[in-house]
Amino acid sequence: MIVEFGHYALVLAFALSLVQSVVPLWGALARDDRLMAVAAPVSVTTFIMVLLSFAVLTNAYLTADFSVLNVLENSHSAKPLVYKFTGVWGNHEGSMLLWVLILVFFGALVGFFGGNLPKDLRAATLAVQGWISAGFILFLLATSNPFARVANPPLEGADLNPILQDIGLAIHPPLLYVGYVGFSITFSFAVAALILGRTDAAWARWVRPWTLLAWSFLTLGIAMGSYWAYYELGWGGWWFWDPVENASLMPWLAGTALLHSAIVMERREALKIWTILLAIFTFSLSLLGTFLVRSGVLTSVHAFATDPTRGVFILALLCFFIGGSLALYAWRAPALKQGGLFAPISREGALVLNNLFLTSACAAVFVGTLYPLFLDAVTGEKISVGAPFFNLTFGPLMVPLLIAVPFGPVLSWKRGDLLAASQRLYAAFGLAILMTVFTFWLWGMDMVLAPLGVGLAVWVMAGAVAEILTRVKILEIGPSRAFSRLIGLPGSAWGTSMAHFGVGVTVLGIVTASAFQEERIATVRPGDVVELSGYQLTFDGAAPRRGPNFTEEVGHFTIRQGGIFVAELDPSKRVYTARQMPTTEAAIHTTGFSQLYLSLGESRGDGAVDVRVYFKPLITLIWIGCVIMALGGAVSIADRRLRVGAPKPARKRKSAAPAPAE
Amino acid sequence: MVFWILIAVMTAAAALSVLVPMSRARRSQDGPSGNADEAVYRDQLSAIEAELKRGLIEPEAAGAARTEIARRLLNAHDNHEREAGRISQAPRLKFVQGLALFALPAVAVGLYLFFGAPDVPDAPLAARLQAPAEEQSVDILVARVERHLAENPEDGQGWVVIAPVYLSIGRAQDSARAYAQAIRLLGPRQDWLTDMGEAMVIANQGLVPAEARQAFEQAAAMDASAVKPRFFLAIALGQEGRKSEAIEAWRNLIAGADGTEAWLGAARNELAELAGADGQSDRTSQTLAPRGPSQEDVAASQDMSPVDRQAMIRSMVSGLAERLADEGGSVSEWGQLMQAYVVLGEMQSAENALEDAQAAFADKPEDLSSIKDAARQLGLTGS
Repeated sequence: MIVEFGHYALVLAFALSLVQSVVPLWGALARDDRLMAVAAPVSVTTFIMVLLSFAVLTNAYLTADFSVLNVLENSHSAKPLVYKFTGVWGNHEGSMLLWVLILVFFGALVGFFGGNLPKDLRAATLAVQGWISAGFILFLLATSNPFARVANPPLEGADLNPILQDIGLAIHPPLLYVGYVGFSITFSFAVAALILGRTDAAWARWVRPWTLLAWSFLTLGIAMGSYWAYYELGWGGWWFWDPVENASLMPWLAGTALLHSAIVMERREALKIWTILLAIFTFSLSLLGTFLVRSGVLTSVHAFATDPTRGVFILALLCFFIGGSLALYAWRAPALKQGGLFAPISREGALVLNNLFLTSACAAVFVGTLYPLFLDAVTGEKISVGAPFFNLTFGPLMVPLLIAVPFGPVLSWKRGDLLAASQRLYAAFGLAILMTVFTFWLWGMDMVLAPLGVGLAVWVMAGAVAEILTRVKILEIGPSRAFSRLIGLPGSAWGTSMAHFGVGVTVLGIVTASAFQEERIATVRPGDVVELSGYQLTFDGAAPRRGPNFTEEVGHFTIRQGGIFVAELDPSKRVYTARQMPTTEAAIHTTGFSQLYLSLGESRGDGAVDVRVYFKPLITLIWIGCVIMALGGAVSIADRRLRVGAPKPARKRKSAAPAPAE
Repeated sequence: MVFWILIAVMTAAAALSVLVPMSRARRSQDGPSGNADEAVYRDQLSAIEAELKRGLIEPEAAGAARTEIARRLLNAHDNHEREAGRISQAPRLKFVQGLALFALPAVAVGLYLFFGAPDVPDAPLAARLQAPAEEQSVDILVARVERHLAENPEDGQGWVVIAPVYLSIGRAQDSARAYAQAIRLLGPRQDWLTDMGEAMVIANQGLVPAEARQAFEQAAAMDASAVKPRFFLAIALGQEGRKSEAIEAWRNLIAGADGTEAWLGAARNELAELAGADGQSDRTSQTLAPRGPSQEDVAASQDMSPVDRQAMIRSMVSGLAERLADEGGSVSEWGQLMQAYVVLGEMQSAENALEDAQAAFADKPEDLSSIKDAARQLGLTGS
């Protein structure tokens, strides 16, 4: 009965999103206060309903209720509790339910915290959000119902795909989805702006916290996914240009561009049409990612289920939302007033440059991801576009962008002075040159690009620090007064610097981990020693071990450095019994920011085993940088100016008081 | 019933979340967009002042920015003058109220009845396992014991309980493993060793594997009077082609019987088989055992457990098949063979038997047609 209760809650959420789609928009167009007032409460109720159904599905997983087909197909009673929980979204139906949950959650957030928005904009935005919710809940109910039942359930389920039984899975999809789906709100804002014909500087201000929120989570989600692939797939790689990864990178690039162009729109009321278009594109790319992953067009770890009807349904949704919003854009955009003009050397000029590079990079990834699919569909020819293509297209686009990053924030609005700006960056530039030379000295001249890459990373990091320091005029007023001004800086300034610094950190990690990595593949017998990067790895032997739902062969290694004990590492090869599926569990030792990465290969019999050992200098900086970027986003959201016009708490409490039924 | 009441409550709450805010909304004085944008522009103005004070912006740039923002502020203000919030006229409000009161529940309940399964109860595993034993299927009982054994693998008595159950539900391999656990934990016993061997034989399609043979030997050594291990050992000897030893073993077994045992028919059959093939006692075996299963054999087989019965039928059928292939037989014997295969579910063997029979009676059209009749009744195609 509980299960059916959750099922009904989902159906009710669909009916409510239909109301949310129609009534507030009607109200906004007719300027009817009563109809607009429906938007916020209904969005909250819809969220509660979806939350209920999600809780019910989770409960079915926790109690191993195999009368729910979804649980039967994806769970197992002996699975550890945490994976029973995360297994809820470790499959197609459950993950789409999570997707919808986050979608309506954002709707509810706007309903709840959108008090500073004009009523008509809020109503129209929530109505557009309602269309998306209705579309995807219908998709769930019609093609991927998580509440499908089994009349006479067997006693044991099929277990969760073992590769997904990992704590990384617990965090990665929710983060990624918050990012992906978060951009639905900017999309809804953009479509609402087009419908209402209201695109002004204030609009950009209102959209900013939502863009920042989605962007921060998407950054974390991508980083988490990358780290998960790094230690779970056992290849030691952290980015594979896999179409699924690209599917999350594209909205990130577009979203980053949107973040920057919205600043211009907010400050100068320029780039309005472009910003609206970017908002539409960003969410469209999120939808495209969902389509690619969920339709089974791509076969990968993430293709939980490949079912043509689902693909067709998502494709139809995709055509409706992307086509519809672009048609609306084509119809309404010419009517929008163009903003002011500006000189190329100025803050807004730098931001336009940023947008050019980011969107070009996004286009490169788009082509590299979709061209093979297109070719396959049209000619049947199968090609694979891999790292070389992206290194040749994406890489060169990133380099000038990174060079330009420190200039942006130090240029002034309207008419900038490049010379004056460069003067503020002297120190940063000097430091970058110094680090480049230092790297050359350390590694010799046989690698040319890597030291330059290190220099570039240092340039971006030092530039971010220099920007904050010039803002408080540390050279003119001295450190003690500068400190108090530092604290007084608005959150958005801190956010910008932190995010840019994070970019530099990530770039540094990427450059060092790929250029200076050392690798050894060996077949070892007990007692053998593998030598790598000054570490001696002694193989002490392998032994079988039993986990709750797997058996594994664990190799035991003792790591020494110059004879001194450093760590013990136990990489293993697992076989998950229910699906008879093998996985590799790499063992990782972190020293400073660098990592020693150990992964077991085939057993050769008589105790010999293949082992791959990598030393990856500064590799953790890749993910640490992403975390810093996301923190920058969070600090920026905390900027009090983003809440201008929000109703005072007292007034809010009154209007939020429970209403007696009339 | 409680379910439908809860559903009604949920639906009502959903409808109220539409109706209540509509009735509570008041006409706003400052138009639908309020003065939210004006607030943003005022804040931008004060931000310019702050930047100017910090020296982050040149005075003339600040002046230009101020003008720009002031223009936006004025624009926004003008727009607000023109707009004014309205409150629903009756028809629009009535329409939306109708939507919330009728369309919303209709859509929700209608779709739910289409997609949902209100009559399927929840079935959390723990509750299913705890239900009273008489309501549970064998599968659930087995799962319960398995769960118990997974947690207490050292409980020998548990393995003793589940082993014969495994065999009766056709999981011979698991049964053998369970007996092995019981023997490991509680020490060897003649009947467990024998049953373990039997399970191995069944899992091995009737052939006696080496481990099973060892188990039977150990059992026979523990209790020389036990018949069952010796029965299987005799089968094993026959399968290994040690005919004289096998015949010896069967004769000993039969000699020790008092004539009422259920296995006696099968034993005689085996003996006749071996003796016949050996050519030792040519037709004398006929006096020992009738051809094909006699009434007596059938009666005996009904006393046996399903597994024993299956094994016995199998040995009889294979005996009959060999004899017919070597020496030929009557039309009714061929019919028996086909029927036996059909009963055992081995359709391909039945078809093969039909083909052989047709070949054997190719020159006797009358017999051939009765073979075909029999085949048709059994549903064989004869292709």
